[in-house]
Amino acid sequence: MLEIKNLHASVGGKEILRGINMSVNPGEVHAIMGPNGAGKSTLSNVLAGREGYEVTQGEVIYKGENLLELEPEERAQRGVFLAFQYPVEIPGVSNIYLLKAALNAVRKYQGLEEVDAIDFLNLVRDRMKLVKMDEQFLHRNVNEGFSGGEKKRNEILQMAVLEPALAILDETDSGLDIDALRVVAEGVNALRAEDRSIVMITHYQRLLDHIVPDFVHVLSEGRIVKSGDKELAKELEKSGYSWVHDAPEGQTA
Amino acid sequence: MKQLTEITTPFGEVAAAKPLPGTELGWLQQLRDQAKAQFERHGLPAKKVEDWKYTSLWQLSQEGFSHDANEVSLGKTELAHVAALEDAYRFVIIDGRLNAVLSEIDNLEAGLSIKPLAEALDQAENMLGDQIDLEKPGLNAINTMLMHDGLALHVEAGQKISKPIELLVISTAENPKLASHLRNLIQVDADAEVTLLEHYVSLAETAGFTDVVTEVKLAENARLNHFKLQHESLAHYHIATLASKQAAGSIWNTNNISLGGKLARNDIHSQLLGEEAHVTLDGLYLVTGDQHVDNHTRIDHAAPNTTSDEVYKGVLDGNSHAVFNGKVNVHKDAQKTDSSQSNKNLLLSRSCEIDTKPELEIYADDVKCAHGSTVGQIDEQHLFFLRARGLDETAARSLLTYAFAVDVLQRIKSAPMRQALSNVIEKRLPKGA
Repeated sequence: MLEIKNLHASVGGKEILRGINMSVNPGEVHAIMGPNGAGKSTLSNVLAGREGYEVTQGEVIYKGENLLELEPEERAQRGVFLAFQYPVEIPGVSNIYLLKAALNAVRKYQGLEEVDAIDFLNLVRDRMKLVKMDEQFLHRNVNEGFSGGEKKRNEILQMAVLEPALAILDETDSGLDIDALRVVAEGVNALRAEDRSIVMITHYQRLLDHIVPDFVHVLSEGRIVKSGDKELAKELEKSGYSWVHDAPEGQTA
Repeated sequence: MKQLTEITTPFGEVAAAKPLPGTELGWLQQLRDQAKAQFERHGLPAKKVEDWKYTSLWQLSQEGFSHDANEVSLGKTELAHVAALEDAYRFVIIDGRLNAVLSEIDNLEAGLSIKPLAEALDQAENMLGDQIDLEKPGLNAINTMLMHDGLALHVEAGQKISKPIELLVISTAENPKLASHLRNLIQVDADAEVTLLEHYVSLAETAGFTDVVTEVKLAENARLNHFKLQHESLAHYHIATLASKQAAGSIWNTNNISLGGKLARNDIHSQLLGEEAHVTLDGLYLVTGDQHVDNHTRIDHAAPNTTSDEVYKGVLDGNSHAVFNGKVNVHKDAQKTDSSQSNKNLLLSRSCEIDTKPELEIYADDVKCAHGSTVGQIDEQHLFFLRARGLDETAARSLLTYAFAVDVLQRIKSAPMRQALSNVIEKRLPKGA
């Protein structure tokens, strides 16, 4: 599904990612953990195609294509979904309009006709249940006046409607209280599937109590310094990140 | 004045073929003479006049417009296609002349009178000219000299009119370079309510000139929902004055949408003369290419407890130039005035220009006045978010542009009106930048 090979990336001339290697197979859930400044957000932004990030070395292969050569919308149309750490508010664009436009953009790429209005509404209603969102949110402007938890749920709703092949969840747990975290996690868990891969980027272990990953990677100073299974996350919880700086690259737990 | 060929305007000679209406009325003759004298003294406003600093009429004066139109008509289906509202009383002016066949003038509902200007003049002595200032630099004097057609709308006390009135002013390819001087008189008596859409449209990309003055008189507690949609050709000149006098408790809700024209200028003036009178001045301008649009608004809070609410938004692309000047004048006795004004602009290109200026003059001490103007671009974060959801850049920009403008539409309470105006606006949205 996703193959990251020796990825180096800079922001404003400063190298942030310094040789990331990672392989994600269909159906797998990977967690990337790391302290502040490790390069977690840079990695998610590079994968989504945000401007201002310069890839200086390496490549990212998604379903056999060079992901880095695609525009952000081309990535999305091919099934790459980024759940934003800080979802933006967009005055004047209703949630339902956004969902429909996004879904139709994916369908157009897939050679399908625009979604039928009634089918669409049924789909959206169904997916709203996953994240326990009230229907009134459909007619509100995207994230405008939403609480932190509502914004994150809204991201997962978009994911649920778009059914991506690869979802990158950037700090989806940040700013959530425990109840909101549970709702978001349940939504994500319901979307786990054999043909869908999920990459979670997080600072804290607690998200992983609710969405249990198949693999955990520790990111430090732009490199993955340790990879392992879910037990690795628990180890991190106990001992913190201080030890990771000394660990050699690629060591397994 | 009876020898019409004597009148040489900066826009060409006025043909004698069709006499101006109301020449038999002494007061009107006097008013026209006054206007003529005023015009001869001052001519067209020069750019050194503050109110015309950013808008030059020089090019307009060089076009050599004609005042003589061949009669043109449209089929009913064609008209239905051009009209913005499906269910409305239509009053149709084609190439500057009333089309009585296509207009609904007779058999209207109780309390509603719709007449051609010419037929209303004998009753209009206290109305015509009362809302406007002849001496104001602009075209009020020329319009008063040359007005030949227009809508006279009168709603009797207590009547709530069931359907909106659509004033359709259509320019066709049959009469290129035609100058029209229109005067509309809108009178709403006490406790009455009506909705009017002034709709200016070209059927071809030909040059023309619409000079229109709309005067509004609202009696106590009268309510006028007043919309204006101008999407004339990109070679067209549109110069308009829209002025009201409002008695106590009256409400004037205006929404001025300016999409067309090579040069479009609106001077909008609300005079809140009675307590608790309210005005809403909303507007939206979408300009591109070499278009120039200028909205000058003025609100006079001349009585206590009057309120005003103004939201103007602009989207500029290409080499377009937009001007917004919003003046709010709170008179000495107008305590407890509550006024809010905002002008927001979205620039889609590097070569467009906006000149925006709010002006407050406050002579009372217990008032609440807020104003602000902004100029910005499409937010890159918003753009990236939409692209990350699969919308291509063009679609994303177009959506964000619409989103910027849409709250002016969302402020329209009537759903059919909102829909009609959105339909036209969506077609004019820039497709990418």
